[in-house]
Amino acid sequence: MISERMYKIICKTLGLEPGEVEIKDETLANQVPGWDSLNHVNVITAIEKDYAVRFKSIEVLKCKNVGDLQKLVDSKTNI
Amino acid sequence: MLNENTTLWRRWADLADKFPDKTAVIHWVAGEEPYRWTYSKLIETANKFSNLILDGGIKKGEVCAVIIRHNPFFYPLYLGISGTGALPAVLAYPNPRLHPDKFRQGLAGMSERSGLDHIFTEKDLEPIIRPFVDSEQSTVNDLFFPLEWNLDDVNLLQNRDKLESIRDSVSPTEPLLLQHSSGTTGIQKPVVLSHTAILQHANNLSEALGLTSDDIVASWLPLYHDMGLIGCFHTPLAFGIPIIQLDPFEWVLAPVILLEAMTKERATFAWLPNFAYNILADKVKDHELEEVNLASIKMLINCSEPVRSESHNKFAARFKKYGFNPSALGASFAMAETTFAVTQTERNKRASEVTVDRNKLSQGFVEIANDDKNSRTCVSSGKLINGCQVKIVDENRNPLGNFFVGEIAVKSVSMFDGYRNYPEKTEAVLDSDGWYYTGDYGFMYEDEIYVIGRKKDIIIVAGKNIYPEDVEDIISKVSGVIPGRVVAFGEDDPELGTEQISVIVETNIAEKSEFKKLKLDIIKAGIDVDINIHKVYIVPARWLIKSSAGKPSRKANKERILNHNDELIWSDK
Repeated sequence: MISERMYKIICKTLGLEPGEVEIKDETLANQVPGWDSLNHVNVITAIEKDYAVRFKSIEVLKCKNVGDLQKLVDSKTNI
Repeated sequence: MLNENTTLWRRWADLADKFPDKTAVIHWVAGEEPYRWTYSKLIETANKFSNLILDGGIKKGEVCAVIIRHNPFFYPLYLGISGTGALPAVLAYPNPRLHPDKFRQGLAGMSERSGLDHIFTEKDLEPIIRPFVDSEQSTVNDLFFPLEWNLDDVNLLQNRDKLESIRDSVSPTEPLLLQHSSGTTGIQKPVVLSHTAILQHANNLSEALGLTSDDIVASWLPLYHDMGLIGCFHTPLAFGIPIIQLDPFEWVLAPVILLEAMTKERATFAWLPNFAYNILADKVKDHELEEVNLASIKMLINCSEPVRSESHNKFAARFKKYGFNPSALGASFAMAETTFAVTQTERNKRASEVTVDRNKLSQGFVEIANDDKNSRTCVSSGKLINGCQVKIVDENRNPLGNFFVGEIAVKSVSMFDGYRNYPEKTEAVLDSDGWYYTGDYGFMYEDEIYVIGRKKDIIIVAGKNIYPEDVEDIISKVSGVIPGRVVAFGEDDPELGTEQISVIVETNIAEKSEFKKLKLDIIKAGIDVDINIHKVYIVPARWLIKSSAGKPSRKANKERILNHNDELIWSDK
């Protein structure tokens, strides 16, 4: 399940107000307004910074949806 | 020097005979071992496809659209279509963001102009494409799924004589391929190029670049784009050197894979749109660069967007310590209508720069700047390559002298013959003396061409042309927007080194609390057609300045938005 923390990071990076969009496990990046290929790197960088983790590009490439991205963060932070 | 009096099929087959074990294509997938096609294996597999395509009833001269995502069998399929005398036309794979109706609308537009006869695609896309094929406006006869074909059972002897006879009948001056200029949902211009045009261009460009048999081209560019298809695929393949082809969808999500591929395969050339320099310099993290070594790079060629000095500077600064030689920062001016390149910078010399007075430049004059305060540094796209001519003209197409800014007109030995089934568009851009008026603005300085902008309002986002009309049509339909009272324009994004799409919309909604919802609805409407709207400016009714034709003026309203603080303008980004 997407944490409130990750939801807020995504919204902030894309200039969205929390509550403006729904983001669930199965949500794809391209279904979130503003999350296009040019902004993708910004979202990933913001998540890395906030959680103080490092992703390899290949790890992020394997994420099919936001739920996978949350799992990746969790695996790095041992939650 | 390549023989220009032959066909590409004969050229590829000749390379397969002479250098059977030489690598032709390295199909790159992030995190996997790449798939390597040698020339002999590529031609053998292409021949199998030709057999099956012939059995499918496809005839010489018919147009075969290919819509296949990054797949190792794309290359022999493409060659195999050409091996039957048919014309391959690579179309963009539908981005998941794009609504299926909009994708079909794009296909219908291309079908009408280009006369698409067949579509080769993936089984997964059948539900999206089949309704278009079955529709009344479609010219497409069949839908094929070549990745499902069993190539192992193909008997190459079965159609050998028929195929040889067809291949003998193809004249070098006959069409080889069809490609479409960019465009989202509306205006696509089909360009047909002959075998001779490609071979002449490969000769002239390889000479300008000083290509040798040891060179290797790396590319993440989509093959429906002229820079990807002609610059990075046809030119090296005809010249006989390997191509490393990455998946464009993967590259945008993980730009470092280009650097990894270059390092592992010791690539020597790559073509990139300007924004890619910023992405690579700013967004790739240090910990991913530990094994990167760019010492093999002879030239990175900046093309498809105006070249920015800052982008070159930041790339050189970031990658010098990874072995990158700043003298390898090259540039080119290229377009589908001239097959590809018109100008090219020299080897071992960084693209020249000239710093001019910004005010004078906006008035159409080139004057070296006296101070840094009001100056603009322009980057050269290089000198003319063999077989090309250029002139700078005024709005009446009269030639301008040196030190004047004007529209760039070009002539090339490998010029297209006009847009297919689009005589009115051809007439607008191609004159009776064979000059093609590019719509790009620029100037000549010390025999080099400097491109500084566009005559038309086209927005270039990361090398992709977006027509503002497309954006305006879509946004006009959003509830709350006054129909027809929308302006779309490109807004500079210095951080990304490209333009982003901004829109100004008039609304009758008075409550500012509802503006955020309107903004979100506008952005979502863009997403449905794969257009990312970066900024939304909301203004009251009758705010937009009209042109003399009575339509909202893009230029005047862009200036008004960007230059003035007007409390009537709402924007939260």
